[in-house]
Amino acid sequence: MELAAIFISAVLVQNFVLYYFLGICPFLGVSKKIDSAFSMGLAVTFVMSITAVVSWLINNLILIPFGLDYLQIVSFILVIASLVQLVEMFIRKISPPLYQALGIYLPLITTNCAIMGLALIAALNEYSFVEAVIFGFSSGIGFTLAIVLIAGIREQLDLADVPEPLKGAGIALIVAGIMALAFNGFIGMLT
Amino acid sequence: MSLSSRMIIVLTTVGLISGGFLAGVAKLTEERIALNIQAEIEEAIAEVVDNAEVNQKVYEEEDLVIYRELDEEGALAGFAVQATGVGFQDKITLMFGLDASLTKITGLTVIDQNETPGLGAKIEDWNSFLQFWENKDATGQLTLRKPAARTPEELSAAEINTITAATISSKKVLEIVNLSLEKVRQLIQEGKIAKEEQDGD
Amino acid sequence: MATKSIGQEYLKGLWDENPVFRQLLGMCPTLAVTGTVITGMAMALATTFVLIFSSLVVSSIKKLIPSQVRIATYIVVIASFVTIADQFLKAYFYSISEALGPYVPLIVVNCIILGRQEAFSSKNSVGRSLIDALGMSSGFVLALFVLSAIRELLGAGTFLGYQVMGPWFKPWIIMILPAGAFITLGVLLGIALLIESKTKRSQ
Repeated sequence: MELAAIFISAVLVQNFVLYYFLGICPFLGVSKKIDSAFSMGLAVTFVMSITAVVSWLINNLILIPFGLDYLQIVSFILVIASLVQLVEMFIRKISPPLYQALGIYLPLITTNCAIMGLALIAALNEYSFVEAVIFGFSSGIGFTLAIVLIAGIREQLDLADVPEPLKGAGIALIVAGIMALAFNGFIGMLT
Repeated sequence: MSLSSRMIIVLTTVGLISGGFLAGVAKLTEERIALNIQAEIEEAIAEVVDNAEVNQKVYEEEDLVIYRELDEEGALAGFAVQATGVGFQDKITLMFGLDASLTKITGLTVIDQNETPGLGAKIEDWNSFLQFWENKDATGQLTLRKPAARTPEELSAAEINTITAATISSKKVLEIVNLSLEKVRQLIQEGKIAKEEQDGD
Repeated sequence: MATKSIGQEYLKGLWDENPVFRQLLGMCPTLAVTGTVITGMAMALATTFVLIFSSLVVSSIKKLIPSQVRIATYIVVIASFVTIADQFLKAYFYSISEALGPYVPLIVVNCIILGRQEAFSSKNSVGRSLIDALGMSSGFVLALFVLSAIRELLGAGTFLGYQVMGPWFKPWIIMILPAGAFITLGVLLGIALLIESKTKRSQ
């Protein structure tokens, strides 16, 4: 698949959150303010891009040649957990204020289905190295887009009169549903 | 024992035990999994080529595989073409059958698709789509009949019926088949696939 | 802290601490594979398998694991059982495995499982951890069942593949689409909170 198609597909047509349902936990938890949503999105994009590279290397240089496909799940999640640790330490050293800003979000990224999902889907689609890198980066952008959009809406919703039981997660999901519908309009863009 | 050593020992042991365990499970299941994948292909072939008893892979490239089908007496029953291409939502993998002379399409079935549920997904459905793929002309380009016809008899041999409200998915299937047919014709010219001469040719 | 009875330990997973409706965990698979009851239940059962066995193992070896490496250990244990579940499905239930796609491996990042190890299995006896795992799993199965039943009935008019709604019913296709999943879950969450507040008020 050409690279531009992969990018557009990951960001709009097959958006990680609104199509693949990946990254819902942070999607619901961190999307109350646009700033924090944006920071989370950036952190995720960063981790996703690196994960795409490392998981591709492990999958294609070690697992597949040695017939160890069944170790994909274990290796990928260990890679992700380690990467997140490393990224956390790295950011802490390089930019303490950034570390403060991202705070607890970083460890949360490990259980973010989006990262694991990225590694698995890239492996499933048998992408080449370059395709995998673009895919990782684009998926992160797609995630950021979705989470920032919904944060914007939720900021407005805070001022609206939402029925009590629906406040918080309930209305966030319904809004996400409507957004998913809107994004459906992007299907067929790649024809 | 220092903490670091203990940490390393624990992690290594856990890693080794689970690694060994998983290797065992993998060994136990790999044959069945391979069989399952095989069975899926064979089922698809059986749906589109009558009397197919023996499958022989005669050509393979990315996204296109061509099988030769022999009946139980070893005579040529037809060919099966497995093709993958871009659909409306995601990739579509389909299998269509060709008769022994490679001039007629004997049927089509969809192996894998991710089209819109209830609409594009109908390309898997016999009544909505697949029944119109029998006895089609494989010597030229196929075209799409819009608006949809009611019965297969209304279509000409080179026409495929569209699915109402799912035109694009229908068109995508058509494109995949047309591209594959072109490839098949090219391979025949290059002598890579042998076809049987019909009686009286 | 009062020790719960076995019954209470189990039941809390069904409602009070229902992993999906109350704790808001494990959303990814909940939304992704609940288009039909069969896939929803397959996912729920696979997750149950992983949760129960992971909890059993973690609870059994909890004294041997240094605290610094506990998360990594839980992850390896969970990932192993997920792999086993994945291989098993591919071998014996191939069509369901195809339908579930990459979501079975994704069980490994289902916050419910890791959460339970950290919050419970690492601090409780094997027996109690088993009950807790069973309760949480039941809650998860319940949540997925309700969601997928609604989506399949309204989205395709079928239940477990059998036509339930008559020809007069025009399926709400949106229910099968991602949008329908989001909206249904949102509404269900709202209903759960509503019931919760009503019962609190009447007490």
